[in-house]
Amino acid sequence: MAEEVIIPAWKRWFEGIGDQVAFFFKFFKNIFAGGFEWSEFVRQCYEIGYKSLMLVGITSFIMGVVLILQLRPTLVAFGAASMLPRTLSVSFIREIGPVIIAIICAGKIASSIGAELGSMKVTEQLDAMEVSGANPTQYLVVTRIFATTFMVPLLSVLGDAIGLFGGFLALNIRDSMSFKLYFTKIIAALDFTDFIPALIKTIFFGFAIGFVGCYKGFTSNKGTESVGLSANSAVVTASLWIFVIDAIAVQITSLLYYN
Amino acid sequence: MEITAEKAKEHTAKAKETAGPVISIKGLKKSFGSKEVLKNINLELEKGENIVILGRSGTGKSVTIQCIVGMLTPDAGSVKVFGQEVSELSEKELKELRIRVGFLFQSGALYDSMTVRENMEFPLTRVLKMNDQAEIDKKVEEALDSVGLLDAIDKMPSDLSGGMRKRAGLARTIIVDPEIILYDEPTTGLDPITSREISDLILKIQKKQKTSSIIITHDMECARIASDRVVIMNDGEYVAEGTFDELHQSKDEIVKSYFADIP
Repeated sequence: MAEEVIIPAWKRWFEGIGDQVAFFFKFFKNIFAGGFEWSEFVRQCYEIGYKSLMLVGITSFIMGVVLILQLRPTLVAFGAASMLPRTLSVSFIREIGPVIIAIICAGKIASSIGAELGSMKVTEQLDAMEVSGANPTQYLVVTRIFATTFMVPLLSVLGDAIGLFGGFLALNIRDSMSFKLYFTKIIAALDFTDFIPALIKTIFFGFAIGFVGCYKGFTSNKGTESVGLSANSAVVTASLWIFVIDAIAVQITSLLYYN
Repeated sequence: MEITAEKAKEHTAKAKETAGPVISIKGLKKSFGSKEVLKNINLELEKGENIVILGRSGTGKSVTIQCIVGMLTPDAGSVKVFGQEVSELSEKELKELRIRVGFLFQSGALYDSMTVRENMEFPLTRVLKMNDQAEIDKKVEEALDSVGLLDAIDKMPSDLSGGMRKRAGLARTIIVDPEIILYDEPTTGLDPITSREISDLILKIQKKQKTSSIIITHDMECARIASDRVVIMNDGEYVAEGTFDELHQSKDEIVKSYFADIP
């Protein structure tokens, strides 16, 4: 009896992997199918990028403030309060900024894409597009994945800047440091090997967010409950992928630059 | 290769030369898991004919028309549209076929994020690859005018009533001048007056555009108005076929149950 339960679960898991690979190739094939949907791509960049700006900005600002407030007592205890800008900038640019912003985007964007496409599936809009002879993958999937791949790195860069600015304000609650000195210390602490790998991994984060959102939406079951499940599953899966990509990126970066 | 407006016109010209039934289904079988939905379906749709398929929910009516447009692959049997075996078509050929076969979904399936005008333009620009804006505007206005929805051209689908959504869906279906239209429960969920308007519209489109249609419905008034021939489906098989009046006189218990409320 137990085997009967386990075998279908594994089968479903492998089927899911197979479906995702097939979906990836379908997406890849449609990139080169001709007639890129520029207007839909721009609309998605607006929806994904501009409409996430406030959320990313506020979150990054708070993260910058909180990090400084948390780091300060420890660094002061070691007489290293002047290291605060350096510590914040390296940790924020390399790791905290990209990952936190990607997680925020997974929550907002992957769920919204999953719910939108899931809802289109439930209301037969995807079928209608398909049977009309149009190409839903080209119109809906390629544009959304490209938009997230393009916008998440931009949001990440912007979030990093806002987070560091938040850190500057927090630093001046207890201490006093001019913006020029703070900025100089940050620039001195950072290297391209901090910034470029972090930027590259946000491209992969963006791709994962778009891909998972679209896949979950397209494979949603018919029924209103599935729309919620697709959105929820998109967030969970995209968040998981972000951590997996981050772990791989850290290993590669360490091998290339820090060993 | 792109499917151009010229190519679609070529298809239309080719179809006019096609003799015999436009749709021919033989021995169609389809199962989902252990449930056999279609057991042995045989049907022919002649050019210019309207067939209404009646049947209880879950008897496989929608599955039949989904097999016609290649949304589902049959387990056995043959589905030929314009003489082409649907399951053997390449992706490109299937796309070309779908331009010639319109499909009206039960909900209308309007694209939520677009206005009615953008919904109409979508198949023109994406499927027929039209790029002359004046010509696109003319076609959009003609299609909406034919279903009486010209006033709603700039509205969002969420601002439309159920009947208006179905009419807009119908306009989007006919805008590419299909030769066959498949209607999936076009009057379900509508009040009797709007249902009658939709049924009249189906008939009007058949007369005006010389289309052939398969209409799936539970609505006997729709069947009476729009059908040339009625097929009754029960448990995955066709159990009766004839004109509305012929079936109305039938002594068969299953057939009689459908006409019980018809005087």
